[in-house]
Amino acid sequence: MSMFSFDLHKRKILTVFLLLLFVWSLLGVKWQDGVIHASGVGTASEIFMAMFTPELSANILALAFESSWITLAYATAGMSLALVLGLVFGILASGVLATRKSSRTFLKGSFRGLLGFMRAIHELVWAWLFVASFGLSPYAAIFALAIPYGGILGRIFADMINDVPKEPIQALQAAGASKLQCLFYGYLPSVKNSMISYTMYRYECAIRSSAIMSFVGLGGLGYQIQLSLDDLNYDEVWTFMYFLTIIVVLIDGWSSLLRKRMAK
Amino acid sequence: MSKKNIIELNQISKNYERKIALSSLSFVVEKGETIALIGPSGAGKTTLLNMLASNFEPSSGEIFIDGRPLSQLTDRKKRAKKIGIIRQQFDLVGQLAVIHNVLAGRLADWGLGKSLLNLFIPQERQAATQALTRVGLPDKMYERTSNLSGGEQQRVALARLLMQKPEIILADEPVASLDPSRAEDILEMLTKIAKEEQQTVIASLHSVEYARKYFSRLIALKNGELFFDLPADQVTNKQLQELYQLKELK
Repeated sequence: MSMFSFDLHKRKILTVFLLLLFVWSLLGVKWQDGVIHASGVGTASEIFMAMFTPELSANILALAFESSWITLAYATAGMSLALVLGLVFGILASGVLATRKSSRTFLKGSFRGLLGFMRAIHELVWAWLFVASFGLSPYAAIFALAIPYGGILGRIFADMINDVPKEPIQALQAAGASKLQCLFYGYLPSVKNSMISYTMYRYECAIRSSAIMSFVGLGGLGYQIQLSLDDLNYDEVWTFMYFLTIIVVLIDGWSSLLRKRMAK
Repeated sequence: MSKKNIIELNQISKNYERKIALSSLSFVVEKGETIALIGPSGAGKTTLLNMLASNFEPSSGEIFIDGRPLSQLTDRKKRAKKIGIIRQQFDLVGQLAVIHNVLAGRLADWGLGKSLLNLFIPQERQAATQALTRVGLPDKMYERTSNLSGGEQQRVALARLLMQKPEIILADEPVASLDPSRAEDILEMLTKIAKEEQQTVIASLHSVEYARKYFSRLIALKNGELFFDLPADQVTNKQLQELYQLKELK
């Protein structure tokens, strides 16, 4: 009986313990100095004041447009490649094409492993690796995005395919459909909408990543943000940030339009 | 023996662990018969249909389809020409247009190329239109299947069977989730189509009333055993009462 009630409260006891740990950790902070850099408050307010006065001169706007274009192009190219990788590997990793139980286990295991490897390494790390090997070429950015995003898409696609209700698939099999026919008539139509909306969400993430990746020198919005920050031109920084925001909002609008059309 | 036996069950048994689902069941079905499987829940109706559908094999005994053991009918495409299945709804792919669910009945005959092309340019449209007209849904061809009501979806499943043209139709509770008038509608359509196409039907049903009304022969199962096997018009109310009687009442 006492064991039972301990089991019941295990989680609450853990929660209280973690809370106490957190409070105790606060005691270790030196509040007087070290939390905020002495001149940090000034810089921070300068940066935030610049929010309201973004640089809108013609040449900065032109630069922002060009950089946005590069960022968008990298993200789109990377995402397209990621979609192909994700679809192919995702379908293989779901194991629905395997004919026997043993080959299904093998397919699932090996392709899920491969997808895990692809997404375990962050796009920024891939970017460093590719810049080191290809130099500062657009391919470095595109591959750096495509590999981890392909891994993420593939993993999610495989899970979606595995979650398709069994009854319609069994009915197709009973009607004499082969594995591939089941894929095209059963699995893919059932998950198409979720696949599209997840891919759109990931596309949005890819835009942000593409901007960040340009910090390694690949050009694009991130690169411009870095240059302006180095020059302490906070007004310019905000111009580029607003451009980034606009792209993300536009993609989001496009994706909800798509979803509305699909729901019809 | 003027008519040929399309299904023959020889001493079929099925055990799950220690529980007996069916014990030494034997009967013969002639081509063109419409049979209703009735009996209380857990009597073994679904088990029997699943074995006929090759979803699993009997623990002992053998099933013959057209004189050949069912266990040798392993090719999925050939089996689909012999045996077709219709169940409660949820059997269709909801995201597909109605026409594609109907044409899925042709997948046994189509190669991958044709079945892929079909998703873009519907093939054999005339046949699909005909099938949909026969089930009374000619105007729903391009609608998304999930937008149809339960009864309409079951009609689409019937249209798919029309395209598949199996010799035997197995129907597992085909009207369980429909209201009475829709249920009668589907059963009438199913038995009518089977008669026109000279198909054999075995359907499990909860409703004795429907079984007597729409089927030619009633096979009653109780506790995994054959309780009676009679032409529909010879079944008495007393027999039905005994069939569904609870143990405690004895």
